[in-house]
Amino acid sequence: MGTTPAAQPRVGDLTDRLKPRGGASPLSRRETIAAYLFLSPAILLFVIFIAGPLLGAIALSLFQWDLLTPAKFVGLQNFERLPRDATARSAVVNTFVFTFWSVVLHIGLGLVLALGVSRGMPAVLRYFLRTAFFFPLLVSWAAVALIWAYILDPNFGFITYYLRDVGLPAPIFLIDPDWAMPAIIAVDLWRTIGFTFIILLAGLQGIPSHLYEAAAVDGAGAFRRFWNITIPMLSPTLFFATVITFIGAFQIFEPMFIMTRGGPGDSTLSIVMHIYETGFRAFEMGYASALALIVFLVIMIVTLIQLALSRYWVFHE
Amino acid sequence: MDGRRESSNSIDHGKLTRRDLVKRGSAVALAGGGLAIGAQRGSAASQASRSSIRRRAQVSGTVTFSIWADAVETASWDPIVGAFNEEQPEVEVTVQAVPAESWAGFFDAVSTRIAGGQVPDIIRVATEGQRLFASRGLVEPLDAYIERDQAELQDFFDDVDPNLVEWNRTLSSTDGKTYFLPHGFNTMALWYSAELFEQAGVEAPTDEWTWDQFLAAAEQVTQPGQVFGMHVPAEYFGSVMPWFLTNGASTLSADWTASTVAEPAAIEAATWMRSLVEKGISPQPGGEFDAFATMAQGRLAMFGAGRWPTAAMRELEYIDKVKMVAWPRKVGQGSPVGWDAHPIMQASENKDAAWEFVKFLASKTAQEIEVGQGGPTVPPRRSVAQSPAFLDNTPEGMNKLYEALSYATPIPSPNKGNVIEQDVIDTFNQILAGNREPEEALTELDQKIQANL
Repeated sequence: MGTTPAAQPRVGDLTDRLKPRGGASPLSRRETIAAYLFLSPAILLFVIFIAGPLLGAIALSLFQWDLLTPAKFVGLQNFERLPRDATARSAVVNTFVFTFWSVVLHIGLGLVLALGVSRGMPAVLRYFLRTAFFFPLLVSWAAVALIWAYILDPNFGFITYYLRDVGLPAPIFLIDPDWAMPAIIAVDLWRTIGFTFIILLAGLQGIPSHLYEAAAVDGAGAFRRFWNITIPMLSPTLFFATVITFIGAFQIFEPMFIMTRGGPGDSTLSIVMHIYETGFRAFEMGYASALALIVFLVIMIVTLIQLALSRYWVFHE
Repeated sequence: MDGRRESSNSIDHGKLTRRDLVKRGSAVALAGGGLAIGAQRGSAASQASRSSIRRRAQVSGTVTFSIWADAVETASWDPIVGAFNEEQPEVEVTVQAVPAESWAGFFDAVSTRIAGGQVPDIIRVATEGQRLFASRGLVEPLDAYIERDQAELQDFFDDVDPNLVEWNRTLSSTDGKTYFLPHGFNTMALWYSAELFEQAGVEAPTDEWTWDQFLAAAEQVTQPGQVFGMHVPAEYFGSVMPWFLTNGASTLSADWTASTVAEPAAIEAATWMRSLVEKGISPQPGGEFDAFATMAQGRLAMFGAGRWPTAAMRELEYIDKVKMVAWPRKVGQGSPVGWDAHPIMQASENKDAAWEFVKFLASKTAQEIEVGQGGPTVPPRRSVAQSPAFLDNTPEGMNKLYEALSYATPIPSPNKGNVIEQDVIDTFNQILAGNREPEEALTELDQKIQANL
């Protein structure tokens, strides 16, 4: 007579008996209500500020509205207009260029800085560096853009001054079609590198040191330790940082708006800035909503692709 | 730093053309006809108009007045509202300052408020926006009000330069109706540091200066790396238009339907402007150059502006060291002109009260108070523009701004004017920086402008 699996006691049996079938007990129902109550502020904020406007934008994309006169239903006309909008095309290309460089530089430089700071160094210095790298994130974009506009000024900015001093040609960064986007990428890097730096630093510090010790004992050199321990153990953090950086970079607006206004020409026009100009300058809110939906879709698709690819390189313990 | 005023200059060839006569003639005829109609309307009308002067019809209600200003400027409106309430104690006026970085930004902010249901009763609109507002059916035609209060307003129309009256009548609306009474304006003059010219031993600028005389003096007064001779920025009203107009060129044709930006005179003017930057007479474009502060520091000899630097120059305590002359001429004198106006919104629920306030703003009392506050515009009434209230504590030559109305050209303000302005600024940034050749850049700009007309 063998025991059937059902006869063997399982932990689940005990808790099952506490939960009568067919419904929740008064205790767990109260717990459920309590849980929803605790969640409700967040849910409310989400509905009011994110879900609601999103649904509003979807609805608005089917209308033509110039803010001053009543909206007019036009069906899918706004979406039919999209392929013909050359400015939107430029803006999307510019945004992808910006995002590519932003992600590469943020992750690369963030990793270098995080590795540098996590090395053995006096705690005071480490603390100072962490604060210093993170600090620009706390300054408003308006202040950052203005300061950098002065630094890059062709008449009295110190970058121009030192370039000329060394004998190099100094372009007028913010109005030169070849230099405006690199300048914006550089300013954005300066301001937001602290974010990826802190995330990657936290990730690095979460790697158990016994792995390194074991590898050192086995005779692994610095590069092997980096490639076979650091990168795999850091991969969830790297994945997170890449996704977040992409989402943020694709929606970039402030530096272009404040420093170059999308100029010279359209060379630094980002898609979000184009949406702003379409909605609030040209007074075409319906079309702007359609553009905004496209941005939403692009970000969602790229994020899903990243999620799918993560299976191949993100190492989960 | 950009003047809020925008104005257009008419191309003046130094003599009265047939067009001028027609303009002035029709203005006189309009006034005369108005008077005749008023007289013909019979005793009731003349009695009403007489009593309306002596005892203004009392109205009541609240009036919201939106202006492009910051909080400091809002406070300067209290005396004006106070004086208005002496005549109309039942009307409550709220001055709503809307901060913005440009006229375009101001329109955006006001439009957003209107969309949100907060419709102001009166908005102060510059030339750029007047036609746009009128064409969208947002503003109330004033013809009936003007006709009713013809006698009261006669004093105003008599006191304003006929050019300004005429431009306002013909250019600010698309259907022949009157939506605006012209208010404060700006034209362009050449501001120079008398102190710097004296120190450099260079003869001071005159109203008759030509481009060549200007260049000679600028070269003498410029010290490379130390002192700039003239500020040549990529600004539409404050830089491109005066140089264009004094060379007989313009960005648009007189009726604003065709682009003229690639014509030889325009290309010549653009090449000239670039040469000033190339020679080091002007600072490079595309930066944060502050002309007023730099002049007060003794490192800039000349810049172009209308009335708007006055407040800053007073603060920098440099007023008595600067003077103003007319813009140097090549083909002839030239200056852009742009003016404010106070349309009453179609959706306003207090139009009668709003009209009383609009009329009050056109009065001598209101304008004297306004200029006393040191505003950035020239009052439309000649009597006020020539009064000490306007001219005291200002550079010598401030009166040249009103005189410029005789040869000024209204700043082109078609419906997509703000898009065109941005294109002009972008193109001139490239030309002045030396990134593109004037002819090639202006040919491309010509097509862009034409596409937006």
